[in-house]
Amino acid sequence: MTDRLLAIYAYVDDVLKAIDRMKTEKIDVETVYSPALNEEVEEALEVKPSPVRRFVLFGGIFGILFGLALAVYTAAQWNFIVWGKPPIPSVSNVIVAFEFCILFAILSGVAGLLILTRLPRLRIPAHYDARFTVDRYGILLACPPARSDAIRQILRDSGAEEIRDVRS
Amino acid sequence: MKEMRYHEVNDTVLAGFSRPNKAYYVMLAMAFMGILVGVFAWGWQIATGIGATGDNHPVMWGTYLINFVFWVGIAHSGTLISAILYLFKAPWRTPLARSAEAMTVFAVSVAGLFPLIHLGRVWIVYWILPYPNQRNLWPNFQSPLVFDVIAISTYLTVSSIFWYTGLIPDLAILREKFQGLRKKIYGFLSLGWTGNSRQWGHYGWVYLLFAALATPLVISVHSVVSWDFALGIVPGWHSTIFAPYFVAGAIHSGLAMVLILLIPLRILYRFENILTMEIFENVAKTIVFTGLIMLYSYLTEMFIAWYSANEAEREIFHWRAVGPYAFGYWLMFICNAVAPLFFYIKKLRTNLVSLIIISVLINLGMWFERYIIILSSPAHEYDPYSWGLYLGPSIVEIGIMLGSFSMFFFLFLLFTKLLPTVSMTELKEDLPAPHRGGR
Repeated sequence: MTDRLLAIYAYVDDVLKAIDRMKTEKIDVETVYSPALNEEVEEALEVKPSPVRRFVLFGGIFGILFGLALAVYTAAQWNFIVWGKPPIPSVSNVIVAFEFCILFAILSGVAGLLILTRLPRLRIPAHYDARFTVDRYGILLACPPARSDAIRQILRDSGAEEIRDVRS
Repeated sequence: MKEMRYHEVNDTVLAGFSRPNKAYYVMLAMAFMGILVGVFAWGWQIATGIGATGDNHPVMWGTYLINFVFWVGIAHSGTLISAILYLFKAPWRTPLARSAEAMTVFAVSVAGLFPLIHLGRVWIVYWILPYPNQRNLWPNFQSPLVFDVIAISTYLTVSSIFWYTGLIPDLAILREKFQGLRKKIYGFLSLGWTGNSRQWGHYGWVYLLFAALATPLVISVHSVVSWDFALGIVPGWHSTIFAPYFVAGAIHSGLAMVLILLIPLRILYRFENILTMEIFENVAKTIVFTGLIMLYSYLTEMFIAWYSANEAEREIFHWRAVGPYAFGYWLMFICNAVAPLFFYIKKLRTNLVSLIIISVLINLGMWFERYIIILSSPAHEYDPYSWGLYLGPSIVEIGIMLGSFSMFFFLFLLFTKLLPTVSMTELKEDLPAPHRGGR
């Protein structure tokens, strides 16, 4: 007996129909595989805005502070007095701060993406179907043994081409 | 883009992975030979010293800085096309974004070699990096040359990450297509991507944010490159117009290079359904726009030189137009500001031959623009005693320049066979998702 099912679909409206039915029946949809980013699926799954935004924000702020600190510290090591110019300038430091802001925001965004998506993964899940990279959608969902038949029927009614048992 | 189905997108793009023909191997071998020439020339310069170039006072930089600025300019457009058009949701972005991004990564990699080459003693390049050292010596963060190091290395890092992030879902497609060693390599590079809703949710956000961050970065990088000159109190350089003028010029040359790379790609890989004439037409229209900015900049430079009543400034612009560099100056003017205007004619912007010819002319003109800016001003500064002329590149410089062009095309040729030149997942996003009964 399995505790999860994978249903494979050819059409996105069938996937949306199935997600909708699962919500009504209070069955957890673990994930949906799709060949491309699809806003309709995201909306149906009520996916919240990604916290990766915070990684990028904090990375950018850290970058500004790091860039400024580096420029100020290194300028302070040598009081290079040229006429009335300040040894620690403000205008030119903006450039250093800006470049480091972008650099650290991006690096932090990459770190955020890897952490939140749990990548890299050495092994692809055994239930994964190569057709998800072409033109098929997949719904992976919890399937309590007592409701197995009812869930399978919903999936079939919503247009699933194939339903597979997924062993944990 | 013509209406396609999801699997047709995969089939069309992956058809490019078929066994290359003879012409491909010939081009690859020629590019490799060019790289060897460049490596030999650089090796010769290292062994004999920087004097091997023959570059001397007052034009110390020779073609090295021309090529550096040229390649940074080429690098400019790729990320800009990809990022800014992504933010504006331009429908013609997707088919050319991946190749344009690859162009950026390769061009900026080539550009980054020139400061190393010009250093002479390349083995002490690490002195430019800010690291704690025995004598407490640090790079001067008030110098535009240090701005340049930071900007270019940030740009290389960010462009590479932006490119690679976009590639991840496509690498997963390749992982599923191939077997054996290729499957393992693509599998490793795809990081185990499966395209589940969690991954797409975070990926969509991060890609949007990267595009939003890359756009101002692109503008800043070429502005910083322009300040290498504009912050010097040299006639013909010390001008506030330099940053926007350089940025526009970089986009101008980058767009032209996109056409030079993508038109053969369309023909060789039969991408007529993806790289449609409408896309090339849109690029050509953008080139008209950037060409008009170039025309405006050239005329403004002339006007400012005259209106400033500064003798040195007037003299340098007069000298550029009628002096020993006049040929390069007018070539620059005609190729950059006049030739693109031919794209006003619909027949010319919808014909592959005229698109290629005008794009090559623009890149020739942009190379000569850097030639004029970088060589003429130091050669004709305030003091007539120190005036001089740059009498053309030496054989070492020519070898290194050949090597740089060869390296760029070699990397691009490899890219067309080893990675998808068009983003399959983004093409699918642009298409209507498959609905029962169609839509």
